[in-house]
Amino acid sequence: MTTLLALGFLSDLWSFVEENFDELLAALKRTLWVSAIAIAGAFVIGVVLGAARAHRVPVINQLAAVYVEVIRNTPILVQIFFLFYGLPQIGIRLEAFTVAWLSVMIWGGAFNTENFRAGFEAVPSRLREAGFALGFGGIGTFLNVTLPIGGRIALPSSINTYISVVKNTSLMYVISYPELTTTVLQIQALTLETVEAFTVLALTYLIIVWTMSAAIRLLESHLALPEAFK
Amino acid sequence: MSLPDWTGDVVRYMLEEGLRNTLKIAAISLVGSFVIGVTLGTLLTIRFLPLRALIRLYIEVWRGLPILVTLFIVYFALPAVTLSLRFEALTAAAISLILWGSAQVAEATRGAVQSIPREQHEAAAALGFGWVGRHAFVIMPQALRRLLPPLVSLLVNIIQNTTIAQIIGVNEVLESGERSVERLTAPPPIGLGEIHSFEIYAFVMVIFFVISFPLTRLAAYLEKRLV
Repeated sequence: MTTLLALGFLSDLWSFVEENFDELLAALKRTLWVSAIAIAGAFVIGVVLGAARAHRVPVINQLAAVYVEVIRNTPILVQIFFLFYGLPQIGIRLEAFTVAWLSVMIWGGAFNTENFRAGFEAVPSRLREAGFALGFGGIGTFLNVTLPIGGRIALPSSINTYISVVKNTSLMYVISYPELTTTVLQIQALTLETVEAFTVLALTYLIIVWTMSAAIRLLESHLALPEAFK
Repeated sequence: MSLPDWTGDVVRYMLEEGLRNTLKIAAISLVGSFVIGVTLGTLLTIRFLPLRALIRLYIEVWRGLPILVTLFIVYFALPAVTLSLRFEALTAAAISLILWGSAQVAEATRGAVQSIPREQHEAAAALGFGWVGRHAFVIMPQALRRLLPPLVSLLVNIIQNTTIAQIIGVNEVLESGERSVERLTAPPPIGLGEIHSFEIYAFVMVIFFVISFPLTRLAAYLEKRLV
């Protein structure tokens, strides 16, 4: 009996996906595209500002600290509201797509700055001294010693940030950007297939998130630092 | 320089109506997450596979879903399954935050309980404590010390995530801000016919910053002191 019910529900889910396939696929692509832009940007912000924080680069260090604290201590939903509904008052109008990637990029960049700062600071100073002894300058030592070693240390926590970036793209519902969550809610409003719609929505996010956290575990063992570098 | 006339009413409305609801959701969610999370996290240390698998699934699902999706499931999908699972908006928001928060606490509790040396279990058992007494009187008091920093961070996250309640119409800080923006935009005599979204959403950010910043400092301080 329960098996039959489960099979019936599975076929309901499948027909929901089949009937709305094009829309769902387009929405999934938008979610992944916005996430990809934001993750790439957050990576660059994290490495640059994380390095500035770890090496106490004057001015940039203090500005980065303010940026990190403001973003970490205010809700991302309010940041999205501010960008999309607040900025037009002073003449800055951003499209929904721009706010979508920009808001999660700014948010992810702040958390990534902390991830990479911690990673770079965890690199033993004797390794950097060895870099200087080999004749590398400050930037050479950073690129050849601090970045590859500290970057590995920061990798798991930075992927966790990227997972949150993907999850936070669902908030673009409030600016009606047609990513996954917005699209599924629109379909649900039309078809009233509520349970099917939200099950498909939840499963899609879980598949993305679980794949990414499996990647952390794989990379962690693969990229683990040899004993000599600890 | 004095503030324009409209600010007094808006600030009072946002703090008295909005902030009160925000703090209410946050308080309910914190207590719920703590109670359920500590229980599940402690049970997770028992070597009984089916139980562990179930709790694992609970943690991975509610940690994996965007909180907004959890909120939609609780608020829209559950009543579609059975009408007895219909909740008010504020309750639905608190339930979603508890599902998410308790998963976080459970994971942290498991780590904290397992970090207590085995000798403590053995000593408590030698004194005649059963499993419950051992955990309640010997292990937990020590584990709670290690749980304190992550709990403070969780509180910050819960306070910030209460804003998702705005999406289903709960009048918390963000919603009270949006209502103020709309009221001021309306033509007189209702409003002023002016747009003040920039100042008002900036003010919402200030409110959250003033609450969160001391708490994140506290979490960092506790982390240094207690570990």
